Amino acid sequence: MSVRGIRLVLDSDPRLLCSVRGLVRAYVGGLGFSPERTEEVVLAVDEACSNAIRHSYQGRIDRPLRLHFDAHDGLVEIVLRDEGKPLRKERVTRRRLKPEKVARVRPGGLGVQLMYQVFDDVEFQPGLHRGNQVVMRLRQPRCGAGRQTRHA
Amino acid sequence: MPVEIDLSEADGKYVVRVRGEVDLYTSPQLRNAVTKGVPASGHTVAIDLSQVAYMDSSGVATLVEGLRAAAQAQRSFCLVAPSSPVMKVLQLSRLNSVFEIRETV
Repeated sequence: MSVRGIRLVLDSDPRLLCSVRGLVRAYVGGLGFSPERTEEVVLAVDEACSNAIRHSYQGRIDRPLRLHFDAHDGLVEIVLRDEGKPLRKERVTRRRLKPEKVARVRPGGLGVQLMYQVFDDVEFQPGLHRGNQVVMRLRQPRCGAGRQTRHA
Repeated sequence: MPVEIDLSEADGKYVVRVRGEVDLYTSPQLRNAVTKGVPASGHTVAIDLSQVAYMDSSGVATLVEGLRAAAQAQRSFCLVAPSSPVMKVLQLSRLNSVFEIRETV
């Protein structure tokens, strides 16, 4: 894929997540990421959208999600904006994930933690006028280097 | 891609076979099958994930919910032949060691 930037606006309808995953797969795969790394990014962007639908829009399916994809200077930047309820800081704070006994597992907020696991950098910010903005960045693989997983 | 879920019960095992993509839209179907199965099962709840093409954290949360419910009901709970996308999200979540994983039902 030769394009470097994509702007996409879609409804906050979970039925559209499948299409978002297809777009992310094509975009990131076309930038030279390995298939395994590409699938990680697909998962993390899907989690960002799901988080906005569940928590910013509290399940409403007719609100806008704005996705921007850009690649420049060896960096891929994916930005998701919503116009929903501001996210509580504790919901988007990075936690340490480690194997635990099931009684201690906290699946709530797992999607946000997966985003931190996958991307080189994740910033949750208030939206420019309202809502939320999350900026996700990852370094593009050098030619022939085949960027591998970063969570090992 | 929709999710398809088949339920069967034999020899004290309640088997949930999942095919397709498990995400925010489809995970409630999985949750319904898993939570219905725990009290109905004799001894074991087995979730066959060999045909799952995609799973997100809502799918993982559903599996954790099933595991907890099974533990409370003193039943065993296992994942059967998880596909690579399932193993990937479990590993990223650091939860792969929490589940019993079997090769076959």
